Amino acid sequence: MADDSSRYPQKRRKFLKATSVGLLGGLAGCTRGGSGGDGGGGNGSSGDGSSGDGSSEEDLPIPLSEYDSADIDWQQFEGDTINIGAVQHPWVSAIKPAIPTFEALTGIDVQWNILPENQFRTKRQTDASTGAGQFDVFFMDQVVNQFREEGWLQPLDPYFNDGSLYDESFYKPNDLFESSRWQAHGGGYSDQWTGLPITVEVQTQFYRQDLYDKHGLEVAETWQQHRENAKVIHEEESDIVGTAGRGQKGYGMNIYILNTLLRQTGSKLWTDFPNDSGLDTDGVAKAAEYYTSLLQDYGPDGASTQTWSDVLATMQEGRTGHIVADANMFWGGLTNDESSVKDTVQIAKVPKPEGGELNPNAFNWQISTSTNASNSEQAFLFMLWATSPPTDLWINTESSGVFSVRESTWENDDYISKVGEDYASVSLESLKVASPDPFDRKYPEWGQRYSEELQRAIAGQKEAAKAMRDAASAAEDIYSG
Amino acid sequence: MSTPTQTETTNTEGLARVRDLWNDYLPYWFMAPMVLVMVSITFFPGAYDLYLSLIAEPTLNVFAAEFVGLENYRTAFTRGGAFHSFVITVTVVVSALLLESVLGFFLAAFVAGVESTRMKSFYRVLFILPMAVAPVSLATIGRLMLNTEIGIIPYVINTATPFTSPAFLSDLPLLTVILLDTWNWTPFMFIIFYAGLSSVPDTLVEASRVDGAPLWRRYVHVIIPYMKPVVFVAALIRLIDLFRTFGVVYGLTQGGPGTATQLVSINIYEQMFINNQVGVAAAIAVVYLVFVIAIANIVIAKVGFEGVWD
Repeated sequence: MADDSSRYPQKRRKFLKATSVGLLGGLAGCTRGGSGGDGGGGNGSSGDGSSGDGSSEEDLPIPLSEYDSADIDWQQFEGDTINIGAVQHPWVSAIKPAIPTFEALTGIDVQWNILPENQFRTKRQTDASTGAGQFDVFFMDQVVNQFREEGWLQPLDPYFNDGSLYDESFYKPNDLFESSRWQAHGGGYSDQWTGLPITVEVQTQFYRQDLYDKHGLEVAETWQQHRENAKVIHEEESDIVGTAGRGQKGYGMNIYILNTLLRQTGSKLWTDFPNDSGLDTDGVAKAAEYYTSLLQDYGPDGASTQTWSDVLATMQEGRTGHIVADANMFWGGLTNDESSVKDTVQIAKVPKPEGGELNPNAFNWQISTSTNASNSEQAFLFMLWATSPPTDLWINTESSGVFSVRESTWENDDYISKVGEDYASVSLESLKVASPDPFDRKYPEWGQRYSEELQRAIAGQKEAAKAMRDAASAAEDIYSG
Repeated sequence: MSTPTQTETTNTEGLARVRDLWNDYLPYWFMAPMVLVMVSITFFPGAYDLYLSLIAEPTLNVFAAEFVGLENYRTAFTRGGAFHSFVITVTVVVSALLLESVLGFFLAAFVAGVESTRMKSFYRVLFILPMAVAPVSLATIGRLMLNTEIGIIPYVINTATPFTSPAFLSDLPLLTVILLDTWNWTPFMFIIFYAGLSSVPDTLVEASRVDGAPLWRRYVHVIIPYMKPVVFVAALIRLIDLFRTFGVVYGLTQGGPGTATQLVSINIYEQMFINNQVGVAAAIAVVYLVFVIAIANIVIAKVGFEGVWD
């Protein structure tokens, strides 16, 4: 009797092959960043640049023709794989559906390692400091100069100078907001690119039109008007506070707002870096006094513990007249169906001092590559593609993004109709003149101490000027110690 | 019948030696897997933490590490605010432990005195419920409930009482943290004390009653002394657990305002994840570990394990 294996050799080989391919594809699909719909299996790139799962160019989210004008050798690393370390961030959700285009364009396979923010920070620090180089591309934030000065970050300028990797007329670097480019250069601490910006958040003002109409208030253009409007609402309305603001400590919390105020009053952080923090100057003391008294007099009780989410909730519930907050983070939450002020909330630029300049704060996430990354050139191609005009436009018009770092996207009609004219115009005007915080290499540490002192002042535990003097000593001690 | 060859003899002797080795050290072989597990999950992380506390930047390459002696320890106790966070931690631990023990005992005594079996079950479930709330949920719910604008607790105080609600998280942060932990963990003490009370022999209580002892004397001179081992174990477990408190406090206040509620655990977390001062975080963790072990040993030495193991 002949056994089955010899009778059906062809069938068994086919079965084993199919099973192996399926299994490998399935495993790869666990972490890869291809379109969610195909389960991730069998998405490897083929030699002709089309998606390996048999989908034609028409099926790709962004047509390859969008990248035809680039004088870049997209296929030079075909068959390679890059690892991306990312936080759970809306940008990741927005770009992931477009990854098949990148894979088809370059033949490079993309593996995602997405982690909660704190876990990601630990993993990133370990990866960079130990020289493991597991991540070819990773998210970078306020620690950019710490990483750069430790030699863990790879400057991107050599890649910008490589004709096979970069085409200026295609990439249009000057289309990136100046503040985004500045922050990508280590916030003024480096003359080289430390990464490429992917998202930007900018401060704006939100107010309740119904309350402003009721009390005959004009939208505040100056901080003094802002305070007077808060006073009227606070005193005239029984269950509504004049304003709400971030009082909680943390470098993305209270000092993110105060830094705007102190810059607008002509002060600056680190008047003589790293010897004089500038936090004990009269301008900073005045700015801190303004902010603390605004929250103490016309803010909610316990303003010192309010985080940005508390501020959002207070505004959503209609319990405050106006707030200053990041447009991108708040606008959606204030205008969705869960917001009780969705029909009355309006957006405006942040106030400025009497006779001063508009100068709101902004924060960029960027993607970078480490010195020990195994595939730095491939990583650069990905960074370039992800932040290029066609991809950025697609993320923000066709996908879920509302945080473009490119001026052209904010001026795009499709984008304006998606996000609304007011939001787009106010954000764009603010972004053009935004000034992000300078994240020097010890910013996380002294920023934390500075924010603790400000929180104490808001809580009434010490006077604002004293708190800023203490913050100055703490910041300068950190550099001198 | 064939005689064994030299090779067979050697093999037999070798096996016998292995068997002897096995038999002679049998308890150690049985303990070995657990010892290995303990070494890998406690000794190794502890040693690695000590190593991190002595170097400038984290690196897995011991030979490339820059050893800085006790510099990280000095930083921890100067600008790192370690001493302040130890004071805050001890305040929270002592206050919460006392409150939870007293309240837990009163609740246990109350339930033990309830006659109806149905009501007893009801109270048992009711008093245990807070312990089922996860720390992060408790912190999130706590923040919302204590929010001065949209929170239910300030609303009730303002509308149903003649008092004005304080801003709990900014005016009374330490007290709020202690009270919230007490609410969360009194059920633990209640469960153990209730079990302890149930084990007190009725004859003992009855005898003291016949002797004319009033209720408070029965508790102070008969029941509580009898329950001493139970009280000790519950307090020791809770003491060590309180030193590990993190989630509720961080979620509620992030250690603020300023550093008003900055426990040692929060300080370590901030040094590590916010300041990126890995060495300083490791140094505080090493000192904290020694501190907690010392406290636990002092408590054991002073109170003793008398009766606990019986």
